[in-house]
Amino acid sequence: MILFLAVATGFLGLAWLALAMDVHWLQVTGTQSRRPAIALRFLGAAALAASLVLCFIADHVSMAPLVWVMAIAGGALLVAFTMAWKPRLLRPLIPRIRARD
Amino acid sequence: MAIVSPSPRVIASRIAAGVLGGYLFAWGFVTLGNGSLLGAGMSFEDAHHLMYLLAFPVYLVVFCWAFAAASLARVWWVLAGGGAAMSIAAWFLSRALL
Amino acid sequence: MFPSFRLSMTWLHTWFGLVMGFVLMVAFFFGALSVFDREIDRWAVPETRFEPQPMPSYDKLLAPIFAGMKPREEELRLAEQRVGGPLPAQKPVMNWGAYTTHRDPVLLMFAEFGITNNPNDPDDHVHGWFQIDPRSGKIIPDDRLNIGRDFFYPMHYSLHLEWMELGYWIVGFAALVMLAALVSGIVMHRRIFRELFTFRPNKQAGRSTLDLHNLTGVVALPFHFVFALSGLVIFAGIYFPIEETIFKPHAEAQGMADARARGLAFKPAGVPAGLASVDAMVEEARRRWAQRGMPGEVGMLTVNHIGDRNSYVSIYRAGSDRVTLVGQGVHFEGPTGRVIFEDPPPSAVQGVNDFLTGLHLQHFRHWLLRWFYVLGGLAGCACIATGFIFFVEKRKRQHAALGTGGARWVDAMAVTTVTGMLIATLAILVANRLLPVELAHRGEWEKGAFWGAWILACAHACWRTAPVRQAKLAPAWAEHCWAIAGLGIAAVLLNWITTGDHLVATISRGYWPVAGMDLFLLAAAALAVVAARKLRRHGSEAGAAAVEGTDGDPVVPQAARVAS
Repeated sequence: MILFLAVATGFLGLAWLALAMDVHWLQVTGTQSRRPAIALRFLGAAALAASLVLCFIADHVSMAPLVWVMAIAGGALLVAFTMAWKPRLLRPLIPRIRARD
Repeated sequence: MAIVSPSPRVIASRIAAGVLGGYLFAWGFVTLGNGSLLGAGMSFEDAHHLMYLLAFPVYLVVFCWAFAAASLARVWWVLAGGGAAMSIAAWFLSRALL
Repeated sequence: MFPSFRLSMTWLHTWFGLVMGFVLMVAFFFGALSVFDREIDRWAVPETRFEPQPMPSYDKLLAPIFAGMKPREEELRLAEQRVGGPLPAQKPVMNWGAYTTHRDPVLLMFAEFGITNNPNDPDDHVHGWFQIDPRSGKIIPDDRLNIGRDFFYPMHYSLHLEWMELGYWIVGFAALVMLAALVSGIVMHRRIFRELFTFRPNKQAGRSTLDLHNLTGVVALPFHFVFALSGLVIFAGIYFPIEETIFKPHAEAQGMADARARGLAFKPAGVPAGLASVDAMVEEARRRWAQRGMPGEVGMLTVNHIGDRNSYVSIYRAGSDRVTLVGQGVHFEGPTGRVIFEDPPPSAVQGVNDFLTGLHLQHFRHWLLRWFYVLGGLAGCACIATGFIFFVEKRKRQHAALGTGGARWVDAMAVTTVTGMLIATLAILVANRLLPVELAHRGEWEKGAFWGAWILACAHACWRTAPVRQAKLAPAWAEHCWAIAGLGIAAVLLNWITTGDHLVATISRGYWPVAGMDLFLLAAAALAVVAARKLRRHGSEAGAAAVEGTDGDPVVPQAARVAS
């Protein structure tokens, strides 16, 4: 269960980091509106950190970093494929904060 | 910028320098390093394992350098020459440690 | 040779990547399969489809089996060659041991027998070994080839080229090239962070292939780098044999000093003595491990200088809960059962070494991490395969215009190494189910099916990549994909027909080694069908696209001038 959460938060973190980039924001929202890049990067980094902590909770100290690094690799692939084929699926991840116009 | 395609002999020499010269350099590094660590009092187990851990990053660096360096002659001198020098020094060191 | 660092790295990446990529493809693919080698063995040897067992009782079960052990025929023949004549009638048993893991239902037992009349090597010895069912002590017959552990796994690190250890050297050099390809790839790929998630499947074949190549290379970069490096460290003794050459006397002196310090006799005393209860020794070892805060099971047990006063028993812990390998050995005096020595915690250097090698050799119990390793391995395969495809895509128009066949032959080799290798892998599994059980040298026939299928796939690839000369997509790719789909489904069906262990049965009773294998085969077949259909679509479009040329990546035109 903890490992599942670790993998999931890793995926979310990477998705947020991707959304912080122009080209992927465009793919997901379909608009060129100002994206809350700083907030997205912060969310992304926080989620990745949470993922690492969860890995250490789940496993022996020698295995946790390996699991995390591989979860990031898998998550990044998944984000890339989602962006390529079904970017709208990531719509719900966009935080509802008002970007300064 | 026009790039002149290098001759097959030059390419072969670069590859030989990188692969074979690089190997000789790595061998010299491992043996001289092992001897030095043994001389400094490290156990044989630790010394050779440490050198094995360092050997491949070193080989990687010199291998890439062999292709990046401007002067092929310098590559041969450093890798083959340096490798031979280190190996010979290691030989003397190993006899001195007996 | 090159006006800039980036150009030199581009050249290095392209040409060394191309040449060694074929070897790397094999190393990565069979490495990925080897993560589940024991599970593949369960599929291939249905007699062993039962749950993994802990090490059984030595006194009650193993001792009589050890007593009946004999050296293997092929070992005796090789020894006769070394000795240059007949061997002595008495080959005294020197030591024996047993090894098990949390994944193995079978137990591996092995023994060393002394050859006393070799003039060149007084310590010459031969080996005997077999696998037993630890529940009953029944010996598993030999001719059941362990396709995972004894075929796919050695393929991964030695290409089955044992002569002068040539295969180890080739794979080792390929690993070095992998490291160089990763470094040079980073140098070449200027927008590495910005394009981390970039994959544009709907662009030109060249562009989307390059995207996928970069994606699979970068997201699993730590994996690719650390596995290549740790693989090299594991076999460093082969590549830099300093212990057998320049530092031989030092190594031997250290070995003997270590043995003295540990109180473990280097040689037998020549005085016969009995063996105390090994089961009691196992209990004591487990008690000591628990006391050290690392309770565990026995991974390996060895008895040295059997029947002698100097005999000692070494019991090692199975490292299934952490990355480092089997260790924490406890050594007992044979005749009395007294603890002689307990392995101390490793030094800093040993710790790093154990971590790196343990990370690669994976004795740990962590199914998610194992599947991640398979993902990493397959990502590596995808990286290499897309590298080949990009190489061909970029050049086939130029070569078609010039009338040369370079791109065509690279494509033929790529098809052979990528899809051809998959065909061969499935062929051995199909043969494993089809061949009669009592067939003599069944294992050799299975291996023959593997190599034969690969050769056929190669011949087909050479024939059906001819259209590349006209800058068209080779039909060989799609045709191989259909073959893969067919063979994959056939393998699953044959497993059902010949063993009755179909997916519903194995999933419902939770027997994952076989269920997982069948599911993986079906997934591979499904992927192959998707790929085949996409390729057919691409093939008809590519005819029109041949006129347009690849999308401009600023790096590509410069590299093209240097590399072609």
